[in-house]
Amino acid sequence: MSLPFAAGGPVIPSFGSPHTFACERANRVFCWGWFKQNWAGTLWPALRQHVALTLIAVVIGFTISMALALIAHRYRRAEQPLIWFTSFLYTIPSLALFELLVPVPGLGLSLTTAEVALVAYTLLILFRNILTGLRNVPEEVRDAARGMGMSRRQMLLRVELPLALPAIIAGLRIATVSTIALATIAALIVNQGLGVPILSAINNSTGPFKTELIAAGALAVLLAIAADGLLVGAQRLLTPWVRARAA
Amino acid sequence: MHNFIDAFQFIGRNGELPGQPHFTTLSYYALGTLKIALIAMIISLVIALPIGVWLGHIHRGSFVAINLGNIGRALPSLAVLAIGVAFLGIGLKNVLLALVVLAVPPIITNAYVGLDQVDPDLVDAARGMGMTGWQILWRVELPLSIPLVMAGVRTAALFVISTTTISALTGYSDSLGEIINDEASYHLSGVLGAAICIAAIAIVVELLLAAAQRLMTPAALRRQGLGTDEELFLTLGVDRVGVI
Amino acid sequence: MKFSRMHTGRVITALAVVAIAGGYGVASSAADGATHSRTSARTAAALPGTGKPAITLGDKNFPEEYILGDLYQQALEAKGYKVNLKPNLGSTEIAWKALQSGQIQAYPEYDGTLLATIAGITKNAANAKAEAAETVSWLGKHGYAFTNVTPFTDSDAIAVLKTYAKAHGLTTIGDLKKLGSAVKLGGAAEFSTRYPDGLIGLHKIYKVFPTFDPLTISSFYTALDSDQVNAAVVFTTDPPLKTGKYVVLKDTKFIFGFQNVGLVVKQSVATEEGSAFTATVNAVSKLLTQPAIIALNSAVEVDDQNAAAVAKAFLKANHLL
Repeated sequence: MSLPFAAGGPVIPSFGSPHTFACERANRVFCWGWFKQNWAGTLWPALRQHVALTLIAVVIGFTISMALALIAHRYRRAEQPLIWFTSFLYTIPSLALFELLVPVPGLGLSLTTAEVALVAYTLLILFRNILTGLRNVPEEVRDAARGMGMSRRQMLLRVELPLALPAIIAGLRIATVSTIALATIAALIVNQGLGVPILSAINNSTGPFKTELIAAGALAVLLAIAADGLLVGAQRLLTPWVRARAA
Repeated sequence: MHNFIDAFQFIGRNGELPGQPHFTTLSYYALGTLKIALIAMIISLVIALPIGVWLGHIHRGSFVAINLGNIGRALPSLAVLAIGVAFLGIGLKNVLLALVVLAVPPIITNAYVGLDQVDPDLVDAARGMGMTGWQILWRVELPLSIPLVMAGVRTAALFVISTTTISALTGYSDSLGEIINDEASYHLSGVLGAAICIAAIAIVVELLLAAAQRLMTPAALRRQGLGTDEELFLTLGVDRVGVI
Repeated sequence: MKFSRMHTGRVITALAVVAIAGGYGVASSAADGATHSRTSARTAAALPGTGKPAITLGDKNFPEEYILGDLYQQALEAKGYKVNLKPNLGSTEIAWKALQSGQIQAYPEYDGTLLATIAGITKNAANAKAEAAETVSWLGKHGYAFTNVTPFTDSDAIAVLKTYAKAHGLTTIGDLKKLGSAVKLGGAAEFSTRYPDGLIGLHKIYKVFPTFDPLTISSFYTALDSDQVNAAVVFTTDPPLKTGKYVVLKDTKFIFGFQNVGLVVKQSVATEEGSAFTATVNAVSKLLTQPAIIALNSAVEVDDQNAAAVAKAFLKANHLL
């Protein structure tokens, strides 16, 4: 081909040809061509990151909540303060919490900051559900266990936790679905997750780009439904004695 | 930590920026946030409460009512707002539409469960006393279901305040989110100041609604320990766990 | 199916550990943006970049910056350098902070913005060359190098509909004076606080006092089209400007200054990476004329193509890839 400045300027190829961009230019509701073209480079990485964001947040949130719930289960007086603390975190609107964490030394605009915020939102649901599950173990069952000579630890592991599983998993379902929805906001802090294509679609200088919005939004919702379904399946597997519910 | 000090200074001067017109101060945006949130809540309550209460009263539609809550939870607020704006343009009406879409599910779900779980023996007793369906609804079922209904209202209120601020990212909002989105003008101190304000507003609203819930709960229930959300939650147990 | 409780516990713990580790792994690798491509045709030893330390390149939060980041990254990697791209960092302030804290070692910056926002120098230079020179010298004093600037300048500009310009006889910004506050000017919220390249500049230098309407970035042109505003503060490399529907009012007093792009690099890093590094960056910058960047922007913003793909096509067509 000719030298770059043969005509006094660089070569400007026709980008993306032979594909014409009529659909994108008209900003029609959904352009399949765009979707197929950008799945690998934009949507799939965003989806993967979103799964990662959610998974980390829920796992860490669950660990912390379990610890807190066990403490509250053992020491009744700790329950009220812990409820207040987790409720307080839950009440702070997501945009605010993400921004408030940024200046904290060591956090800044990083994945960790986003995770701290997401974890904070899972605590209330998980803490309350685990605690309720543990509390609702019938007293007779506990008496029987004690009568059998079980230690506190054994009772917890072999009786109380298994019986609390339905409540725990119900909490996990709610926490996971909420986190998937919330993780879109993380895109304000760090370039991760399905919030990134949503924001970039909104900020398109020729008007919000519908296809990308719908694609990313639909992926988030589908992810939530899939996660919910997986957890329902896990519950059926782990607690076959619980009658399957419609909800 | 000097960032937080700067943030409080920002709040102290009401977020005034030199040379800026008066309508971009912190108080303006805070009031704007409350205004939008209030309108959205009123619309949502008008739509959702009757539906949820009615379905619970006639004990029908549990599948829809419960799953509506699940689906509502799964909707990313940013996406809902963005799609509303993309298809309907920028403007208050479209933001309100998105807010209502997000607020209605938890209200319906909680109202449904609240009415549905009223002790059937009490309802029978009331019927035995000669009360009509309407009277049972107003004098027995609704008072007994206030804790759960209010739980739904509180959840919806939190959603709405949170999403109102997010709506600044999608164009119009006149809410505190505008400041957060405009880091270039307000700098980090302003963004933090606005974030602190939003958090404070949310906490105050939550406390007010909790107090209202306590007041509205019939004395008898309060004595049973169902006055606050937490007591309610722990008393009603596993079955109701799905309705946060 | 019956799971023994212990097994369940162990399985769950194992899954949790895998989930967290895997999650962080996926997240951080995905954060590195485009994958590293190597030209397989040449041997590694021939490339000037082999053996040089990896460099983290960032870009700011709008499409033109994404394109620039991708262009520089791909061109450098074609020469054997290892470049980790951290796209979409945020605004100017945030990108600069990231550079100072070492989170990134380089990012593409507009010389006018750097001087005004970071250096606090609000007086515009006489011409583009002087602006670039001033930027080089300021950055030099602070330990940063600034590569040769691009031919294109992405300055703010005031645009009106062609029909509006014709109806009111407008060719320069100063012509708006006669319309007083009847002219509704739309722009990003931050425009209203900037001087001289903002509303305050319009007041003081042009004595133009329009009614300002803060808009979001995606609605400048739609607002013009729908008559929500009469004039809008846009950027000179916006794709819609080439349609001929809009007229950019001449900035006769140069309040909007010059905004050519160069790569800000930590001086020590630039030296370490060698002269071929700077030469490669300069070669890319040289290609970015006004028509070129508008075409690139158009492909990304109007046709909604992927910035990395567009950058690749451009570099390939110009033999830098």
